[in-house]
Amino acid sequence: MTPKVSRLSWIALYVLLLAAFGAGIYIAGKRVDYSWHWERIPQYIVSFDGEEIQAPFDGFVSLADDGKSIHLQALRTAESAKFAEFDRINVGDGDLVFEGDVLAIKAGISAGPLTWGLWLTLKLSAVSLLFALVIGVVTGLGRVAQNPAARAAAATYVEVIRGTPLLVQIFIFYFFVGTVMNLSAFTAGVAALAVFTGAYVAEIVRAGIEAVPRGQMEAARSLGLNYVQAMRHIILPQALKKSLPSLAGQFINLIKDSSLVSVMALTDLTKAGREVVSSTFSPFEVWFTVAAMYLLLTGALSLWVRRLERSMAHD
Amino acid sequence: MTEPLIDVRGVSKVYPNGLQALKNVSLSVERGEVICIVGPSGSGKSTLLRTLNALEPISAGEVFVLGHSVHAPRTDLNRLRAQVGMVFQSFNLFPHKTVLENLMLAPRAVSKAQREELHSRALALLDKVGLRDKCDCHPAQLSGGQQQRVAIARALAMNPAVMLFDEPTSALDPEKVNEVLDVMKDLAAEGMTMCVVTHEMGFARAVADRVIFMEGGEIGYADTPDGFFGDTAHPRLRAFLGQVLKS
Repeated sequence: MTPKVSRLSWIALYVLLLAAFGAGIYIAGKRVDYSWHWERIPQYIVSFDGEEIQAPFDGFVSLADDGKSIHLQALRTAESAKFAEFDRINVGDGDLVFEGDVLAIKAGISAGPLTWGLWLTLKLSAVSLLFALVIGVVTGLGRVAQNPAARAAAATYVEVIRGTPLLVQIFIFYFFVGTVMNLSAFTAGVAALAVFTGAYVAEIVRAGIEAVPRGQMEAARSLGLNYVQAMRHIILPQALKKSLPSLAGQFINLIKDSSLVSVMALTDLTKAGREVVSSTFSPFEVWFTVAAMYLLLTGALSLWVRRLERSMAHD
Repeated sequence: MTEPLIDVRGVSKVYPNGLQALKNVSLSVERGEVICIVGPSGSGKSTLLRTLNALEPISAGEVFVLGHSVHAPRTDLNRLRAQVGMVFQSFNLFPHKTVLENLMLAPRAVSKAQREELHSRALALLDKVGLRDKCDCHPAQLSGGQQQRVAIARALAMNPAVMLFDEPTSALDPEKVNEVLDVMKDLAAEGMTMCVVTHEMGFARAVADRVIFMEGGEIGYADTPDGFFGDTAHPRLRAFLGQVLKS
């Protein structure tokens, strides 16, 4: 048998395994008499329903231009508003509408709730990642600093964060810090995730710094660079490069951990999934879809990091 | 002559584990002088060299370089170190920078000189060590001998008043040793003040103004090369020379 044939047969086995897994899921569904309704899912990702035009305040409707524009006169004030760009009208001449009522529909494709959830998860993760990186590098530098106060403070932070569950930290940030400092749910969520991830990033950065040979610092200092310059130009660039695979893993964790902020009033991907389940009654399909969407984010991130690593691999 | 360029006065060094690396060492080096420090491993020769730019803290005594007390807390160590070039056994080039960036990084960070001026100076130094064509390479693409020549050029880029060499050829393949020693010989011929910790007795004999034999953290013997290699009265030096010259 040539090696090429044997490789093909292994791939065939792999495909077979995947098929068996899929069949297993199908049979399991059958056993509990689950009726699959995959057709319900796409509308929650991309909506063709069009965009709703809602009444900005209570008032009376009057139609003008042969029904091509809607005029809304406020009930109690002199305010008025005019809407012209729509495709389907929902109200009649002289109707009394209240704030939030749908006046008309503008046709078009819009993002469904799951896509909005994905977007919020992406935003939440990206902003948290940025802050986590800053917190992590600063704390990592504190861990290797000469100053005992800096070392102790950094170590305490890392120990406290790593020793408590993220969910508990999120509750503390939402209910205590968020209340005391009057933070929005998004800000509290970013803070919780950044502070949590920062502790792990700090340990990765510390390990990266310690993995740079001592001679690098000595060479830099012997040339007259001060500690900060040596760290900035010589040690940190090498340390961060060494840490890149671990950092990537940590940031993939961050994306996944962000699902826990759905306990706050934040409609991230997980929360959106829960809402969609309650309107479709198709939990299996929804959660598989949500999982696939998370996989999309994490997969894209690890692909990008692999590319980054390759482009940095000159030495 | 005025005051010596390097003046080591009664320096002792005890490591935290109790090991005494230096015992009351005194040594002075004049401007333009080349001294070679030899001795068995663990004799404190590298430690002595590293106390000269405070890479190694000392337990007692005082070190003066260019009239400044190196280990005094109020000394501007960064400014002093910029005038003391150091070359390491393991080269310690910055692997994430090109050869040219290795040479230009410290001068740009420390001095206010213009970029173009530093650039042409760096190229001139690479010419001097015969590696101008490698200026855009990364250190990993160079042989050990080439890396050490770049390391010498990097130290020279700061325009130092004295150069310290810590076993510069010990990590090299035998056939690469001479290309580094040749650069060092040229440097000595130009009048650079040099302190060289080495096992290369041929270099010491040919280039040094004074050879210093260290043993057990003390200076056992010091003399001109002629006296040093001709002297047979010192029993331990004779034993040491017998060992290294045989190989």
